[in-house]
Amino acid sequence: MPEPAELALVIDDLTVAYDQKPAIWDIDLEVPQGALMAIVGPNGAGKSTLIKAALNLIPRAAGSVLFHGKPYEAARHLVGYVPQRGSVDWDFPTSVLDVVTMGLYGKLGWLRRPGRRERAQALAALEQVGLLDYAGRQISQLSGGQQQRTFLARALVQDAQIYFMDEPFAAVDATTEAAIVNILRELNKRGRTVLVVHHDLQTVPEYFDWLTLLNVEVVASGPTCQVFTLDNLQKTYGGRVTSLHGGQVLAAGG
Amino acid sequence: MMGLERALIELLLRFVTHDALNAFLRSPQHTASLVGCLIAICGALLGTFLLLRGLSLTSDAISHTVLLGIVLAFMLMTGAGLEGDTSSPWLIVGAAAAGVGTVVLTETLHRSGLVRQDAALGLAFPLLFAIAVILVSRFVDDVHLDDDAVLVGEIGLAWANTNSHCFEHCESLRITPEHPAAQQMRQCVNCRELTISPRDERAEFREVCGNCGVYTPAQAWSAGLLDEAPTLVFFPKSITVMLVLTALTVGFVAVFYKELKLTTFDAALAKSLGFRPAALTYALMILVSLVAVGAFDAVGSILVIAFFIIPPAAAYLLTDRLSGMLLLSPVIGGAGAFFGYDLARGWLFGMLPVAEGIAALNAIFGLQLREAWDSSISASVVLTMFVLFVLVWILSPRYGLVVSAVRRANSRRRFDDQVVLAHIHNHQGTPSHAIELRAATLHQHFRWTPQKMNRVLMRLRALGFVSQEAGSAILTQRGDAHVHAFRKQLLVAHNIPDIDPTQP
Repeated sequence: MPEPAELALVIDDLTVAYDQKPAIWDIDLEVPQGALMAIVGPNGAGKSTLIKAALNLIPRAAGSVLFHGKPYEAARHLVGYVPQRGSVDWDFPTSVLDVVTMGLYGKLGWLRRPGRRERAQALAALEQVGLLDYAGRQISQLSGGQQQRTFLARALVQDAQIYFMDEPFAAVDATTEAAIVNILRELNKRGRTVLVVHHDLQTVPEYFDWLTLLNVEVVASGPTCQVFTLDNLQKTYGGRVTSLHGGQVLAAGG
Repeated sequence: MMGLERALIELLLRFVTHDALNAFLRSPQHTASLVGCLIAICGALLGTFLLLRGLSLTSDAISHTVLLGIVLAFMLMTGAGLEGDTSSPWLIVGAAAAGVGTVVLTETLHRSGLVRQDAALGLAFPLLFAIAVILVSRFVDDVHLDDDAVLVGEIGLAWANTNSHCFEHCESLRITPEHPAAQQMRQCVNCRELTISPRDERAEFREVCGNCGVYTPAQAWSAGLLDEAPTLVFFPKSITVMLVLTALTVGFVAVFYKELKLTTFDAALAKSLGFRPAALTYALMILVSLVAVGAFDAVGSILVIAFFIIPPAAAYLLTDRLSGMLLLSPVIGGAGAFFGYDLARGWLFGMLPVAEGIAALNAIFGLQLREAWDSSISASVVLTMFVLFVLVWILSPRYGLVVSAVRRANSRRRFDDQVVLAHIHNHQGTPSHAIELRAATLHQHFRWTPQKMNRVLMRLRALGFVSQEAGSAILTQRGDAHVHAFRKQLLVAHNIPDIDPTQP
């Protein structure tokens, strides 16, 4: 990968603690614009915490985060967030289209209501994730994969520069996984930066061109071809990764 | 508040005479129903969001802790020499503060990580309520904050607590000793000291005026001191209070509909998009507190929660849209409040007399129940709301018990059909054909009763999926197509590659 002109995300000395126990510890991270990056690490490594702290959703103990050179408050419109699917109540009385439209609320600001234009944008995003036929569905009738794609469509309408996705591949069907990968590549082609918390080591080299290995601290970060080594993985997972040949990884408890 | 009331009455007087208006408002039923409906509308709108946020019980907590706010504000007011009145704006401020205080205290306990959310609520609100109870009994003696009022309120008396507004002939009257209407009386000045009667010869007298002083138009008219009747309207205070609260609540929900929806569904996204979920939550809680106070006089602190929770819970079963809930739940709450008054007076939904029902019970079971029916209005309202909820719960076209049971039975039947069809499909044309598919013994393969097997086969024949040939069940062409269709659907849904050899 050629040296990019601009850094989409710069994290400097970021520490987050729960009850004085650091969840992530002195994170330094630079992500070039246009990177499609996986954040990988064992359970409790602080992957979700890293994203939430970057987006000011939880208090930081120390450190700073810059998005295209700006702090979060000034860069809100540049950032799109796909939370974990389980973070909301899917029995909430609303439709798929309505959930996707929520992605546009930030642009609308206080008090202004979504209109025909917002509806069209939301429908376009639903078409992109293959859920156009489900626009009027009550969200509780969706399968897990469809819920995940709804969240993805909601992030797409935000038309952000940097996307943060918290385990979009967790427990989804093959159709959804393929749809998500397509969209990640599409975003990547349009020069967007995407950070994905990921669990499946086997698919890392196939899906992502940039990789951060995290276990409370950053173990390694950079182009996947350089970072994705048995040595690095063993450092991250504490020796539980047993082999790495031809892209086949066997990780215990990954 | 008085100015607002006056403006409202002036508006009403364009359409009705003041006599008609007074007659309407002096009916306990009209005022109670109106106040009850307004409380129900406020409660239903706010309760919708509480329900969806999993904060139903917070409304119960707040309706109790506002008592602390009321008492503290009351003490401060009397300390500052103001007259204590339960509809004063300062009490409202105190109540709002108490509501927010409850939420803050709960959150603080919860966020310490040592107490669970529900336990935190259970710790916070009895504490604040207990302090309120102690303060009431210690420092506030002469207020009408008695047990009954705190428990179930006095909505039936709402009509009696009024502000009077005068519109014509409104001169207040001053009676001086010189006034022709003044009543001069002789009063014994030394009778008490000497413990003698006024008839005793030692008694000394002076002239006093028995009715001197300043009379409001209303007082002057009722004392018969005026020739011309002043135009007076007596307006119940609680109607005004609830009208203002309803306007606030409806306005809040209408203006912040989009923001409330977003923060209720996904607070994290709301925060990341630059909205303020915490501010909205507190605004919501302040309104809940205000409504709890407004409702306090009418329905007490225990039953308020029903106004917040039952209507949205019923609406939730009827619609799949937040907007639908916000439209339906006030209707359900309003209906409950309206018919609840009837129930308290002995009429179930305005149609069935309760007394006759009791008479029937007495006649059938030989009971000695009193047939005359006159019960607590607020309790009857809650009961009526609950009856409405149960009706919805059973009969809701989407999620009602009846529909769910029918749907479950249908899918069980469909599944039975598929089991049999798949079995025939798998064995048709194989060597085991004759053994596996013989109609007379087919039930043994499924461990079903012959009756059940017969039912299923009859249904499948009626659908044209199965026919019988030489004592064996075989698939028709239609049946075959059906099997392929549902197999495919099933396999796709579970990501299983199709291994069916008969598939092209």
